[in-house]
Amino acid sequence: MRPWLRWLILPVLVGPVGWLLFANIGVDPRTIPSQLVGRHLPAFSLATLDGATLTDADLAGRPAVINFWASWCVPCVDEHPVLLDAAARFGGDLRIVGVVYHDTPDAARGWLGRYGDGGWPDLVDDGSLALDFGVTGPPETYFVDAGGVIRHRVVGPLTTVSMAEGLAAIGVGG
Amino acid sequence: MRARVWPLAAGVLIAAAALVAVSSLGPSTPPTRAAQAATLAGELRCPDCQGLSVAESRTAAAQAIRAEIVAQLSAGRSADEARQSFVDRYGDWILLRPTAPLVWLVPLLALAGALVLVTTWMLRRRARPVSAPATVDAVTRGRLDEETEALDA
Amino acid sequence: MLPTIGHAAIVVALALTAYAAIAFGLAARRGDRSAATSGRRAMLGAFGLAAVASVALMASLLGHDFSIAYVARNNATTTPPFYSVISLWAALEGSILFWALLLTGWSALVLHRYRDRHVELMPWVGVTLALASGFFFAVMTWPGNPFERLVPVPVQGNGPNALLQNNPFMGLHPPLLYLGYTGLAVPFAFGVAALVTGRIGPEWLAIVRRWTVIPWIFLTAGIVAGAWWSYEVLGWGGYWAWDPVENAALMPWLTATAFIHSSMVAERRGGLRIFTMVLVIATYVLTLLGTFLTRSGVVQSVHAFTASAIGPWFAVAILAALGGGIGLLLWRLPALADRRPAPELASRESAFLFNNVLFLAVTLVVCFGTLLPLIVEGATGGRLGLGAPYFNALNAPIFAALLFLMAIGPALPWGGASWRTLRDRFGLQSLLAGAGTLVGFGAGMRGLAQLGTLFLALLVIGVLGDEVVRGTRSRGRTRGEAVPTAAWRLATRNRRRYGGYVVHAGICVMAIAISVSATGASQASAALGPGASMAIGGYAITLDRVVEEPMREDPRVTELRAELHYSGTRSGAVSTALRSYPNSTTAIATPGVRTFPNEDLYLTLLQADPGTGTATIQAFLNPLVAWIWLGGFIVVLGAAFAAWPERRRVLAPASTAVPAEPLAASSPSVEGA
Repeated sequence: MRPWLRWLILPVLVGPVGWLLFANIGVDPRTIPSQLVGRHLPAFSLATLDGATLTDADLAGRPAVINFWASWCVPCVDEHPVLLDAAARFGGDLRIVGVVYHDTPDAARGWLGRYGDGGWPDLVDDGSLALDFGVTGPPETYFVDAGGVIRHRVVGPLTTVSMAEGLAAIGVGG
Repeated sequence: MRARVWPLAAGVLIAAAALVAVSSLGPSTPPTRAAQAATLAGELRCPDCQGLSVAESRTAAAQAIRAEIVAQLSAGRSADEARQSFVDRYGDWILLRPTAPLVWLVPLLALAGALVLVTTWMLRRRARPVSAPATVDAVTRGRLDEETEALDA
Repeated sequence: MLPTIGHAAIVVALALTAYAAIAFGLAARRGDRSAATSGRRAMLGAFGLAAVASVALMASLLGHDFSIAYVARNNATTTPPFYSVISLWAALEGSILFWALLLTGWSALVLHRYRDRHVELMPWVGVTLALASGFFFAVMTWPGNPFERLVPVPVQGNGPNALLQNNPFMGLHPPLLYLGYTGLAVPFAFGVAALVTGRIGPEWLAIVRRWTVIPWIFLTAGIVAGAWWSYEVLGWGGYWAWDPVENAALMPWLTATAFIHSSMVAERRGGLRIFTMVLVIATYVLTLLGTFLTRSGVVQSVHAFTASAIGPWFAVAILAALGGGIGLLLWRLPALADRRPAPELASRESAFLFNNVLFLAVTLVVCFGTLLPLIVEGATGGRLGLGAPYFNALNAPIFAALLFLMAIGPALPWGGASWRTLRDRFGLQSLLAGAGTLVGFGAGMRGLAQLGTLFLALLVIGVLGDEVVRGTRSRGRTRGEAVPTAAWRLATRNRRRYGGYVVHAGICVMAIAISVSATGASQASAALGPGASMAIGGYAITLDRVVEEPMREDPRVTELRAELHYSGTRSGAVSTALRSYPNSTTAIATPGVRTFPNEDLYLTLLQADPGTGTATIQAFLNPLVAWIWLGGFIVVLGAAFAAWPERRRVLAPASTAVPAEPLAASSPSVEGA
């Protein structure tokens, strides 16, 4: 072996390590890519806080935002104004559906009373709808197009920016 | 006296090994549904906690997954089908025991390679005449080594 | 005032470490002793200033000075003083300051201790330690300032992370671990010095061994303490989850352990120098990698600090240490090459070699498993999960093989063994270990994992015991000492060897306990009304009452507590709670643990309703867990015994005794006397 060849070890070792270290900085390990983006939304038939029943079929024909939240979830408070704002602006073209995640209906109603009820239906879920969506924890929001296909997901509290991105993915607010 | 220990030791060892084998193979009763559910829960990552399995976590999501495992198994689905249903929703991420063969092969091949390398190095280098003092047999040499070692700190 | 002093101390310390690096560099180039003295004093000054900054931050935490962002984030006016003090290392910036304090402390100690010795090596050791310390001061000067001011000043702070203020053990586990981590910079510095100067001899090996064993003791204690903390606080009934940050502490421990073993071969017969050097470099790089994983927010872990801007800084430091270390090694490679014959297959050398291969294999599995999710993430953006089942499946057989080597290694003579030696040394031991395994089976142990580990561990203990008995007997015979005197003198005359045996015995205790507790635990959960009972093992657990009240130590914390009693095999009272901290969304479990010699009764509260007095309890029966902690304690004791400074022996009489002793031992006339 030629003596200088051993110096090849240096880039071969340091290069990949450097790539590995820098490639992951700034990537949040908690955001797992959704398996459901591009798939049809799962079937459900659940009671709302108002006592009505909502099924997946009811969502057909209009783009929808499905938001998983809970009264015990602190960041849900921060994102709530973003949802209220979207409801006010795109009310006619957009359906917003809340899903109460591992919470009691009473606590959820109390929370809405405190932070503002946007008037959209809130489903009471025992956890199985959240499982079907692959939810990791609230707040988590799914953007469904008019054909019922999930196009985008936001993990963590919505911001005006992430809301606009999501709505663009389902053709709302162009 | 020490020489007579070996046959006895061999007997005890064989008996112990047989017992271990019998006890680890065990009677082949199929696992109960609860045991199946617990095993599966131990192989799934809890979505809203840090590095724990669904079996170990007490978060809401983990409880929901445990409930669904039981429901699916009660509905007559196999453990593999239930596992796949979670992979469909959460991706491979949810498996604590990955299925990709490469993930298992890389460490195993590296270990095997290292062991082969070291062993062949020893066998090959030994084949060459080594300047071992021919007048001292291995026992004495070992003994000498041992005694001198006791002296150095 | 305090924040200004603290910040100024950090900036001046950065300047001092930079000065020290230059001074040591000059000392190395010109052989200028006064430059080295000056550099040493600068490092001592940096240590003093790190202490000043640490005290300033501690005082600010105690005084709840929320004008400092770190204090506002990690402290509240209701935080008890103890948790205020330990908040120094409970979050990102403070932990870096604490790290810098310990690192400069080790540096000052080493530079002072060897000030008049190893004149060729020490300036380069100084350069390396000054740069390593300077890095941390630079991080605190730019991206991670612990004294960052907050405007406007909030009236109340967030309070410490709820998980970290739930158990006083938080005061012990991180300092031990950090002492280990930072101490491992010392062997690396000596490694760099040896490579630069080309002085890689027995003198170097002796220092590096010593300065690896000392941090190793702290690292071991820190890891065991961390497992204990996880068991007592997290409430999931286990003690090791193969969490990325646990793995990050384990990896340098594995390579340091491998180094301690390989250095014995290197010392005994020379050779293995490249390999030894690789281990020294790898150990240090792995400690930095652990810091990176914990502090850059790239992994998801109980231990992860919040994502921060210091990630790139640590990435550069890791690349510098790795590239620099490997570069120096490649430069010296021709001089380091080993041309000695390979050892015999059945010799102690080869046992050490295979031990090293296996330790590196475990390191590789852990490293690969920890980093693979990052590789997948970086390359594809996808996520991959690897967890306990993966690590256990791959590592368990390797650990078993290590136990086997631990049994045969110490009894194999250097050079090579004959069949007769093997028969003499292992016959009785394998008989006893086999018999012990049968006893274990009778006591209810089942399965290959439990019984196989028991057999190997007993074999190790048997072989070690035999070694001690032989040594004591021969010493008693030749010197006429009584058994206890002979045993003590035997051990203290060769602390390293017999301390090592104690470490091995402790590991065996841990191995048996881990194998049994990992495969033999049982659990049950039940929703209990007042006065209702659940059964687990031989115990009946009855719920007495559910209480909800603010905690006395910190009234902002609400404790929802289930008070229970157990009867059956043993009886007594136990309570378990869920504590709601104002700054935490989920309640923190406070398990109720009753420890007995043969098993732990471990109860956690899943949920409770004080109105109806019902509680859902999860109960675990974890066999032999207490022995894991005891084994860890034995390991630390043994290692401390081995590392204890030996009195300098007068060489002259010892050298005349050399030929006499072995002859006397085998001479029948002496034996008869």
